[in-house]
Order: sequence, then C-alpha cells, then structure tokens
Amino acid sequence: MTANTALILTLLTPLLGAVLIGLTGRWPNLRETITMVTALSLFALVIRVLIGLNAGEDIGVELFEVMSGVGIAFNTEPLSILFAMIASGLWVVTSVYAFGYMRGTNEINQTRFYVCFALALFGAMGVAFSANLLTLFIFYEVLTISTYPLVTHKGDAKAKAGGRTYLGILMTTSIVFLLPAIIWVYAVAGTLDFVPGGILEGNLAAGSATILLLLFLFGVAKAAVMPVHKWLPAAMVAPTPVSALLHAVAVVKAGVFTLTKVVIYIFGTDYLASVPYESIAVYMAGFTVIAASCIALRQTNIKRLLAYSTIGQLSYIVMATMALAPFSEIGAAIHIAAHAFGKITLFFTAGAIYVASKKTEVTQLNGIGWRMPYTMAAFAIGALSMIGVPPTAGFVSKWFIIAGAFQLDNYFVLVVLILSTALNAAYFLPIIFNAFFKPEDVKLKDHGEAPPSMVIALCVTASLTLLFFFFNGPVLDLETQLVGGMP
Amino acid sequence: MLMHLPVLVVLAPLLAAPIVALMRGATWPWLLSTLVSWFALLCAVLLLIQVQAEGVIIYTMGGWEAPWGIEYRIDFANALLLVLITGLASVVMPYARLSVEQEVGAERSPMFYAALLLLSLGLCGMTATGDAFNVFVFLEISSLATYTLIAMGRDRRALTASFSYLVMGTIGGTFYLIGIGLLYVMTGTLNMADLAERLPAISDSSTVRTGFAFIVTGICLKLALFPLHLWLPNAYTYSPSAVTALLGATATKVAVYILIRFVFTIFGPEYSFGAEPLAEVLIPLAVIGLLSASTVSIGQPNIKRMLAYSSVAQIGYIVLGIAMGTAMGLTAALLHVFNHGLMKGALFMTLGAVMYRMGGTNLSDMQGLAKTMPLTFWAFVIGGLSLIGVPLTVGFVSKWHLILAAIELGWWPVVIVILAGSMLAVVYVGRVVEAGFFGEARDPTRREAPASLLIPVWILIFANIYFGIDTRLTVDIAEAAAAQLMAGGVVR
Amino acid sequence: MNDHMILRVVGKFLIPYIMLFALYVQFHGDFGPGGGFQAGVIFASAFVIHTLLFGVRATQKIAPEWILRIVASGGVLLYAGVGVASLLLGANYLDYNVLGAYPVAGQHLGIILVEFGVGLTVTAVIMLMFFAFAARGEPEGDAS
Repeated sequence: MTANTALILTLLTPLLGAVLIGLTGRWPNLRETITMVTALSLFALVIRVLIGLNAGEDIGVELFEVMSGVGIAFNTEPLSILFAMIASGLWVVTSVYAFGYMRGTNEINQTRFYVCFALALFGAMGVAFSANLLTLFIFYEVLTISTYPLVTHKGDAKAKAGGRTYLGILMTTSIVFLLPAIIWVYAVAGTLDFVPGGILEGNLAAGSATILLLLFLFGVAKAAVMPVHKWLPAAMVAPTPVSALLHAVAVVKAGVFTLTKVVIYIFGTDYLASVPYESIAVYMAGFTVIAASCIALRQTNIKRLLAYSTIGQLSYIVMATMALAPFSEIGAAIHIAAHAFGKITLFFTAGAIYVASKKTEVTQLNGIGWRMPYTMAAFAIGALSMIGVPPTAGFVSKWFIIAGAFQLDNYFVLVVLILSTALNAAYFLPIIFNAFFKPEDVKLKDHGEAPPSMVIALCVTASLTLLFFFFNGPVLDLETQLVGGMP
Repeated sequence: MLMHLPVLVVLAPLLAAPIVALMRGATWPWLLSTLVSWFALLCAVLLLIQVQAEGVIIYTMGGWEAPWGIEYRIDFANALLLVLITGLASVVMPYARLSVEQEVGAERSPMFYAALLLLSLGLCGMTATGDAFNVFVFLEISSLATYTLIAMGRDRRALTASFSYLVMGTIGGTFYLIGIGLLYVMTGTLNMADLAERLPAISDSSTVRTGFAFIVTGICLKLALFPLHLWLPNAYTYSPSAVTALLGATATKVAVYILIRFVFTIFGPEYSFGAEPLAEVLIPLAVIGLLSASTVSIGQPNIKRMLAYSSVAQIGYIVLGIAMGTAMGLTAALLHVFNHGLMKGALFMTLGAVMYRMGGTNLSDMQGLAKTMPLTFWAFVIGGLSLIGVPLTVGFVSKWHLILAAIELGWWPVVIVILAGSMLAVVYVGRVVEAGFFGEARDPTRREAPASLLIPVWILIFANIYFGIDTRLTVDIAEAAAAQLMAGGVVR
Repeated sequence: MNDHMILRVVGKFLIPYIMLFALYVQFHGDFGPGGGFQAGVIFASAFVIHTLLFGVRATQKIAPEWILRIVASGGVLLYAGVGVASLLLGANYLDYNVLGAYPVAGQHLGIILVEFGVGLTVTAVIMLMFFAFAARGEPEGDAS
C-alpha cells in the first residue's frame, strides 16, 4: 500500500477499532483481542509511513477545506513520525498492561474505557500527522474530550473534581489562548500550513511575535508549563493505564510536540531567534523544571510524584526547544522518546504495586523490592532514566540538551539541568534504596509480583529504556533532519 | 410555478392555517401542518438555488410594480434565512406531535398548529418582503401567533410570560411603525429599494434621524438586545417545548435580518455607522449582554431558562458582528444567525424530549441522564459543544469568523470578550454534562425518549456537525450576502 | 332586559337595517368610504345589540361558535383563494387583472371578493371575541 493510504489508515484504524470495541463489549476476550489487533495494525501502519518517509516518498493528504485557504490536511516529517511511532508502539504495550490492570482491579465500565482509549489514540494520530494548525487544533480538542471520560472513569466525587480541573484548564487554555493565537497567525500569514522555516517571517511586528509566542506557550497547556500545569496532577485520579499511556506519553507529548512544531514550522528557529524577549519562554520552562522537581520532593503519593516529575521533564523539552540551538532541538525531539519510555515504565510499576499490594504512597514501599523484584528493578531503570544516568535513554537526550546549551553559551539551561538532575536524584534514589535495603514495615496484604501481563509490559518498556541508550542511531538520524543535518 | 416561489413559501402555510383551525383532534392538524412545512422548505431551497443563479429575485404582488406595489425581494441574506426558518419548522413539526399532545392537549391542538403555521408564515413573510410596511404586517402576524403559542404552555406562568411579551413586543412593533411613518413622511415611499434611493439626499434631516432611532430601537427590542431582552427568558421557559424550539431558533434571527436590512441596505453603512453612532451604541450593549447573560445562565436551576439566557448572549455575538460594519463582520454575523438556529433548535428540542419523559427541565431532572436517556443526553452534549465552539461543530465556524473579523479590525478587547463568552459557555454547559454523567437518576428505569422526538433532534445535530465540517455552503452564501449588503443600495 | 319592552321592540326592528347597512358599506367600498373591515364591525354590532337585548345564550343559538369559526376561516381562505386563482390563471399572486375579461373588470371582481372575505372574517372574529368576554362569569340563564 502507498504511504498516503497508510497515513489515512492510521487515522481510520483507531476510529474503527473504537466502534468495534464498543460493539463487542459483552464478550470481554473478543473485545481485548480487537484492542490488540487495532493497536498492532496501527503500529504496522505507522512503520509503513516511516519507511515511506525515509525513502523520500511524497506523503500528503488533503481532505477538504473548512475555511478559505485552510482545511483538514495531513502529512509527515521527522518529528511527527517519531511521536506517532511512540504513541502507537506504546499503545500495544499499554494494552497488554491494561488487560492485567483492569481485570486485576475488577474495574467497572471497561468497554467505555477501551473505546475512549482508542478514540484518544485517534486524536493523537491526528495531532501527529496534521499538516496545518487547524487540523492540529481539531485533534488536540478531540484528545482533550476523549480523555475526559478516562480521567473521570471511577465516577466518584474525587474523580469528578479531578475531571473538572482537567477539563477546565485544558479547555480554557485552548479556547482563550491557543485559538486566538491560531486565528492571529491565519490573519497575518493567510495560511496555517506547517512549513520548514516558518510562515511568520515578515508578517508580524516584533513585539506582537512575543505575545504570540506566549499565547502558544500557555495555550498548549498539555505541555504543562507552569502555571497551566495543574491538570496533570488532577488527572492522576484516572486508572494507571490512563496515566501511563496518556499522561506520560500521548497527551503530554502531544503538548510538547505541538510547541515544537510551532517553533520549527510556524515561527521558524531563525525568525524566532530574532523575536525580542524570546528567552522568556526558556526562563518559564526552566522555572517549571526546578519548581516541579521541588514539589515532587514533597509528594508522598507515588502517582502525584510521578506527575510532577513529568511536568519537570516536559519542561526540559520545552526549554530545549525554546533554546533554539540545533543540538537542543535534537535533544528535545529525542527526549520525547526517551522520557516516554522511562515514564511509562515508572507508571506501570506504580500500577503494578497498587494492584499487587494496594499501596499508593512512597512511605509504604520499604522492602517491597524483595516481594516484587521485577517491578522494582524496572522502577530503578525508569528512575535512572529520569535522572539521566547511563546506560538509560534519559542520558542520551540530556547529553544533547547540554550540548545545545554549550552551543549557544546558555548558562541558564546548564544550571537548570544540573540542579534538576540533583533534585531528581534526591526524590528517586531514596525510593529505590528503601525498596531494596530497608525491611518491610507496612503490609496491607500478602502479595507477590503483579499479574503477569503487567509485569511483561513493564519489563518490555524498561528494556526499551535501556536499549535506547545503545540503539538510538536511527532515531538520531531521523531527528537531525529537523535541523538539517548534524551541526 | 417556479417564478412564484417567493410567494409560495408564505402562501402554503397561509392556506393551511385556517383549514387547520377548523379541524378536530390532534392528528389531522399535525399532519397537514407538517406536510405544508415540508413544502415550504422545498420552496425555500429552490429559491436559494435560484438566487445563487440570478443574484436577486423580485416578485411583484398583484402585478403592481414597486414602488407603488408591494414586492418580495429575495437576495442571499434572506434566502439563507428562509431556508433556516422553513427548515427548522420542518423539523419541529414532526417533533411536535408527541410533545404537543402532552403539553398542550388534543383539544387545543388545532389552534396550536394553526398558530404555529401563522408564526412560520409571519417570519417568512418578514424575511421575504421588500416593503417596509409589509414587514410590520408580518411582524404583527408572527407576534400575535407567538403570544398565543406561549400562552398555551403548561405552567400557569406561561400566561404572564405571554402577556409581558405582548406588552413589550407591541411597544417594539409600535416603535418600528413610528419609525417607518417618519421615513414615509420624508420620502413618500415604503418600498425598501426606493427608500434606499431617496434617503441619502435627505439624510441630515432630524426626522430621518429620529426615524432611524425609532426603527433600530423597535427592532432591538424584538431581537432581545440587552437591556431590551427582559421578555425573552420567561417567554422561552414557559412556552411549550416545540414553540421554544422554533422561536429560539428563528424569531430573534428574523429581527436581526430586519436590522441588517435597514442598517445596510436602506440607510447604508456610511450613514448608519458614520452619521449615526450605531456602532458606539450597539457594541457596549452587545458586550454587556453577552457577558451578563452568560454569567446569569450559570446559576439557573431550570435548564430551559439557562438556554434562554444563553440565547441572549448569542444575540450579543451576532450584534457585535453587525456593529463591526465590515464584510467580514457581517459574514460572521450571518453565519452565526444560521448556525445558532441549528444549535438552539437542537438543544431546545432535546430539552423537550427530557420534559416529555421527566416532566420538567430542571437540573434535578437531568441527573443521571447519560444512563437513562443516552441518545437524548448525547444530543445535548454535542449541541453544548457546538455552543462552546469546539471544532468540527458549527459553533466553531461562527466563532472563528467572528474572531477573525475582530482581529482584522484590531479590536483585541472584543476578541477577549468573545473568548470569555466561550469560557462561560463551558461552565454552564459543563454543569449539565456533569449532572448527566455523574448524577443519580431519580427514576433509574431506563426510558429513552420516543423516536419521533429523537429523530428530528438528531437530524439537527447531524446538521450541526455537517455544516461544521463542510462549511462551503453556509460560508459561501454568508459571504455573498455580506458582499451584496456592503455594496449598499439596491440592485435593480 | 325583559322589562325594557321599548328597547326590545325597537332593537328587533333595527337589527335587520343595521345588517343591511353593513352590506351596503361592504359592497360600496370601492366607491365611497367602506370596505370589509368597517362592514364587518357594523355587521357584528347587530349581533352585539341582540346579545345585549336577549342574552348570550339566545344569540349563540342564532350564531353558534362553530359556524363563526368556519366563517372566520372561510373569509381568510376566500381572500387567499382569490390570489391563488390569479396564480392559476398565470399571473402573479393577487393580480386581479386576469380575473375578468378585461383588467378593470378583473380589478373590480377581485377587490369585491377579497373585501368580502375580509368582511366575513372580521364579523366572525369580532363576534367570537365578544362572546369570549361576554360568556365569562355568565350565570345559568340570560344575562339581565
């Protein structure tokens, strides 16, 4: 099949899957199979698009015009294919994990869960492959709306309150900041297409460009730059598979992906460098990194701790993107992958711990490493990746970001990176230490490892975290195309 | 027959209404009304196609040429509106069978359907005509029918609501009449095209200025611009559901059309915005109306009332578009006239289905609706998303154009106001959505609304989504209409 | 008004003349002041006098509500129907020219018919409105 066909199918497949899942709700095994088949087919289709991209095939699909000069259109480039691969590939793993988790906790409304999951992936694919800002905005909102039922899945008062914060912040920022930013771009540039080098050059007064940048920075709340980050901890009321795939991978990466796309293809790195006070974005992201790490230090709930860790890691990406150095752009792109692998592992372990032992706080984890060796080993790997220690994925991306900082003599970025590494170590290492080297003092129930499908999933992602350190060549080659070759 | 389309749209209901009034029972009146409405829709659509081919269609009543005779003059703006009115009537009529049976009763049904036909013919007549006094005649026809219809609501407060609307509506109509009278004194003509030709020469006279003020005030009362909107919440809340659906989607929109006709065609944009402080008056009122109505709707326990206030806010958006005085602003306003009709029609019909099953439309009746009446509830959710302006719905298309028009003029505060309105919409729609998803249903026995109520609702919902994705039809027509209107004067 | 013999006799005498005058006003509307609206009110006033003299019940026996409704609708249909006749004869709606052998005759016929329709409707509606108000609070038996 041609790459264009595969591209359209990447959107249709999760949509069709959602319908089929909805119809087969009464036969759980059939339903789970359909989820798996959908996820696997999606990944295969994305690979086909990747092959097409590498072979230089002309990939682009225009569906129809919605307003004059801008319509729904899709294409692909290094950044989008990376995001699509990660989201679709990790969906396969998360599905395996979810089967174990949802059955292990005997969750209600499982069909609705899997349907919304598939719809969220539909949204993610749409965001990934969008060829212009309008298409991206549409699928960005699809992502928000399809994940709302997932966040409020449990249906209790806490879930409702969390859902309110989630939806409130995401919808408010997208309507009040992102939408006017997009319309403003359309008004001055006449188009919304993503073009290498950007479309704003010469169209916008210098001061206005700063405001536009800030509108994007806070409008894309999914990138969780403070102070529009509150939705992420609020979303932790969701079942862990949701937190793992969506709030460590799909939704948050859609956010930083959007920001990076806007920086490279709407503003253009050269133009953006000439915008006054552009470094405000760098400072805000840097502040978020440090603040999030400090808040994480004080969290006792595992998932909330991971949420704040995610906020910090996302701002690494934002900071690196906004730093506008070629190495840091590459580092930002790679960190999308590296962080995904590490964080999903961490969330998987959090869920595994909950299912096996009903524990949710880090203070309860003393000595748990001996009951759940695989899980805690995976946790250790994920944590080390967050800190940025070889031989984990996190090290590779940090390397590039630091290199980017040196490229432009950006000492602020350097200091933030060093400080945050120390902070990350400060809240992750004690957990690992306590898990393995302290005797167990809190026992809620007698338990061993988590259900097999969950353990398999987290072992796979942990291995990916390690493998990425060694086998990152192809990804590197792909992403250096973003900046036109290794600088 | 094709050349008589402009009059057929009004004639068919006119012939049917007296016959319906004589019938007995509920079924035959309903059947005849529905068929007639569908016929009128067919005529309106054919008329739109004709206008797209020819530009402007002129039909002289009684063979008397204008300006001595009354002519019907159809261009893009009113063709679009005719399709909206007849389309909504065609969807509300089938819907009305069960809803009216329950809320009005079989005994009063013939009168009800006759009044409904008179309402739709009045609105169509106002839209199609090219004579300023004829507008008043049809205005009175539609208003009187409306007062009757509102009074037929189940709640006893329907009578007071109808009476207060009667008083205010009559004041509005009378102001309009006074204005027309003043213009007639100065120009000697009542024909719109003729007025447009004669007014520029005498536009400094204070009579003309007074006439302008009276006309605008009278129309603004009918279109429920803040602070002349006080009749609307009660009227919408207490009338029968089918009536609210039709009224909420069309009545104020026709008044908007009349305003546009006077401001742009008859007086011309240079006079209206230059010599008269129209923009300076309309914009603050529209903004205050938008924000205050949206805010008030958040606290309403009755959802019908909440949507009524929401309608006042949406009128604010439309008036903002008009007040911009540019082609883009006018396009946005016309777009929103059409799109809002689709949105509110669907939403009020959804509430009618809830009323049918649950007996009321308070927030307490909406609890747990996602489980007990899923199809109905999801229709409300999608309509609500359209109201907020989520992409892929018609609401997004209108908002986009409105914001674009404001950015084009550099009116950033207006952009912020528009977005604030969307935010408030998120809050008041969110309340209902939350109640539906998370609330505990009072009576958990699953009783979805009957198909004859749901099918019209979902037809409008699909229209919401369809026109939100394939915007060529609505946007092209709105742009063509705006171009015709901005050119001012009339094409003969 | 049982006691008012004079009123009853004179009233009974006058009522037909009022009606006749109403018909005169109706059909001479194109030559002098008159027409459907005025004639309809005058005609209805005859019935109002009857009501005042003999009571709502008695008058309603002569002009029951169902007949009034038919007349009201019929008037509208007559008016609209004249216009439809014009359509069917190939001209615009309500173009009276085609209704007769030559335009002036057509105009004459058209105006008479539509005004008659107006007269019918106005009569019936005024009487319906009057009965609606007069019959409220009516005790059993005639109003005295």
